[in-house]
Amino acid sequence: MVATQRVMQSNVSTSAATTSCYGGLSSCKGEDVMIADQFPAGLRVLVVDDDITCLRILEQMLRRCLYIVTTCSQAKVALSLLRERKGCFDVILSDVYMPDMDGYKLLEHVGLEMDLPVIMMSADGRTSAVMKGIRHGACDYLIKPVREEELKNIWQHVVRKKWNGNKELEHSESLSDADRHRQGNDDAEYASSVNDATDASLKHLKKRSNTKEEDDGEIDNDDPSTSKKPRVVWSVELHQQFVSAVNQLGIDKAVPKRILELMNVPGLTRENVASHLQKFRLYLKRISGVTQQGGISNPLCGPVEPKVKICSLGRFNVQSLAASGQIPPHSLAAFHAELLGQPTGNLATAMDQPALLQASLQGPKSIQVDHGVTFVHPLLKCKYSSFKHLPQSFAPVEDASSGFRGWPSNNICTAGPGNIGGLSSQNGNMLIDLLLQNQQLQKSQQQPTVPELCPSINVQPSCHVAPSQSSASFQVGNSPISVTQNGSFSRTSGIGYNLLSSQSNCSSSSIGQVSDVNLQSTGDICGYILPAAVSPSVSSCSVNAENCASQQVQTSSMTFKTPRNFPGFVHSTSNIQDSYGSTKTGDFLDQAPFSNLGYINKGTCLPSRYPVDGFQSPLSSSSLGKVFSENFGTRVKREPNMEFGDNAKVGIPMLQQFPPNDLMSVFTE
Amino acid sequence: MLGLDADQLRADMNRLLAFLFHQGILDEQFLQLQQLQDENSPNFVSEVVNIYFHESEKLLRNLRSLLTMDRELLSFDKIGIHLNQFIGSSSSIGAQRVRNICVAFRAASDNNNRTGCLRSLEVLEHEHCILKNKLHELFQIEQQILLAAAVRYPVLN
Repeated sequence: MVATQRVMQSNVSTSAATTSCYGGLSSCKGEDVMIADQFPAGLRVLVVDDDITCLRILEQMLRRCLYIVTTCSQAKVALSLLRERKGCFDVILSDVYMPDMDGYKLLEHVGLEMDLPVIMMSADGRTSAVMKGIRHGACDYLIKPVREEELKNIWQHVVRKKWNGNKELEHSESLSDADRHRQGNDDAEYASSVNDATDASLKHLKKRSNTKEEDDGEIDNDDPSTSKKPRVVWSVELHQQFVSAVNQLGIDKAVPKRILELMNVPGLTRENVASHLQKFRLYLKRISGVTQQGGISNPLCGPVEPKVKICSLGRFNVQSLAASGQIPPHSLAAFHAELLGQPTGNLATAMDQPALLQASLQGPKSIQVDHGVTFVHPLLKCKYSSFKHLPQSFAPVEDASSGFRGWPSNNICTAGPGNIGGLSSQNGNMLIDLLLQNQQLQKSQQQPTVPELCPSINVQPSCHVAPSQSSASFQVGNSPISVTQNGSFSRTSGIGYNLLSSQSNCSSSSIGQVSDVNLQSTGDICGYILPAAVSPSVSSCSVNAENCASQQVQTSSMTFKTPRNFPGFVHSTSNIQDSYGSTKTGDFLDQAPFSNLGYINKGTCLPSRYPVDGFQSPLSSSSLGKVFSENFGTRVKREPNMEFGDNAKVGIPMLQQFPPNDLMSVFTE
Repeated sequence: MLGLDADQLRADMNRLLAFLFHQGILDEQFLQLQQLQDENSPNFVSEVVNIYFHESEKLLRNLRSLLTMDRELLSFDKIGIHLNQFIGSSSSIGAQRVRNICVAFRAASDNNNRTGCLRSLEVLEHEHCILKNKLHELFQIEQQILLAAAVRYPVLN
């Protein structure tokens, strides 16, 4: 660490010297100065502007701020530079009007390919122009002439972005510290227990995905379109509309254009819908992936395996799903929301899984899932109808329905009929089936027994899923499911279960009370599968454990999502999202964070070179951020140092090669 | 030159600067530029100003050729783009009057007002010329100050 810092320091000094900056200043800081002390010095900035005058002035100003500056007068060159040296820049300053490429296009490319904050500049200070910049995802818009004071502050965008990414990670980590009640999410969306659960699962998922991504070094996860590019916030309602549109058209025939028409949402573009559809499709594929696409699931399973120790999932690669957190966050969220709402709404109707119900019942109540509940409700209601279509469109799961129904009966839990545990053989179907079943259950019976049955959905332990007994009903696996905490739900009947089991293995922080990991990783996935309403506080009944667990998971995922959302808020764009670091506080619940959920590493794999300890304030107003600021501090410390060093090493050689003047000439040619 | 010592030259320079600020030819952004100059980049201001004039002359030539094109070929969008850059660079170095004229020019261009654009271009070229002369004068005085200071401390063998 110290070495790294020294390297950084010397780097700064060197670059400062070469850039005729104040090397002296940075070296004065002392040898053992933490990287934090140097921050924001050493911030690597890429400036793109076709106006050489401004370029030179900006370069000088940025050097005065002790940043490491690279200038470029052509957008295309800048883009190739960014692609070549991914991870070598922290923030980009770009002019809007450039001859070879529109600044907005560059902005979009950067947003798509690399998660870097982009600040636009222009002499045009008209509101419409600024609005356009924000809409395209700029995290800030400076009006020329740019003053040095404005440039001094650009580091906040970097930090904000990192923090948002880390926050979710932190969440899970902190949760796993069994600090459930830390939530205090000001977001107050979800009950703390739910949050915890969700956080735990989310964290796990995130961690895994993060690790996975970092290892791979690839940011383009399953779905490049899941990057922040589409700045639309896929709220629960919006997703609900989307799903109903898809259902109407039929999943196979759904094309973005038609979906867009059906949705009839002003301001929504075809591209937004297209990317969302892609995510949705991937999600469906995944949940049905075991049977249909071994290829797809396997890779997913890969990274997951070690971490999750999931037993064979049987048909569903839930674990992979869970672990990889591949499920599109927003879809997860939406489903989760749905599921969540469902239980609450239909709890009384006694889902077959008493635990589930109970969880759901309790979940919403206990957890601040108020929000979740509220918007779950409408979602659920609509979704049911829409989902009815779905099962048909999805393939296989036929038995699922029957299986589901059967399951509950087998459950120890007397809850009731169908386990909507959503364990359809096809994951996708699972969800749908789950919903359907729930619906049916509601209608068919009222089994308020659920609550009694599952006092607490402690997924983990209790997950002795009855399913084991009803192997027939569970398409997934016939082996008895060992509900041990650690689980191994080897055969999770449904995604939810799989998730659960994976979760349980993971023993991540308990989600709320659900302690387990199960919830954590499955959080996201579960969102889809089960009506969340899983309040961690509900300890799962053994029978319903799985259900509960899944429910809980969902809740947790719900909650998780919440926290995530908030971080997301922070960096979600203004109106519609996309912001890199713009602090949009908690208004956008469902937005960006959800995207983070599924593709967790989108935003978080940015090496956090800069310790966030000191910068708690920049966190968006989301209380979430505040809540976890301490955690961030502790946690982040590690990363920045390590990565910082790496980056520094990476950066240094490159930068040192180019004295500022050369840089300019190189790029301005 | 012999008669001008550094103090007098400095007074001249300050007077010129005051005049330029008073006339609105330069604004406080120019001061920022001067503050950016330090021992590490001692010629920063003159360097930037040189770049500016180099670029702005190109822009002016382009603008003129664009406006003197046939009416059918006239592209106000292109003019607008050039003007944007002109506004950006002028405001960045603190050339206030030039910038203001560019803004008016842009307004005329937005309205597809060819006559207005031509008139603005005339004024712009004129103002640009004044700025160039004044800044050139400023740099000359600066150089003389440096020389005068050097004369004061001749190198002794």
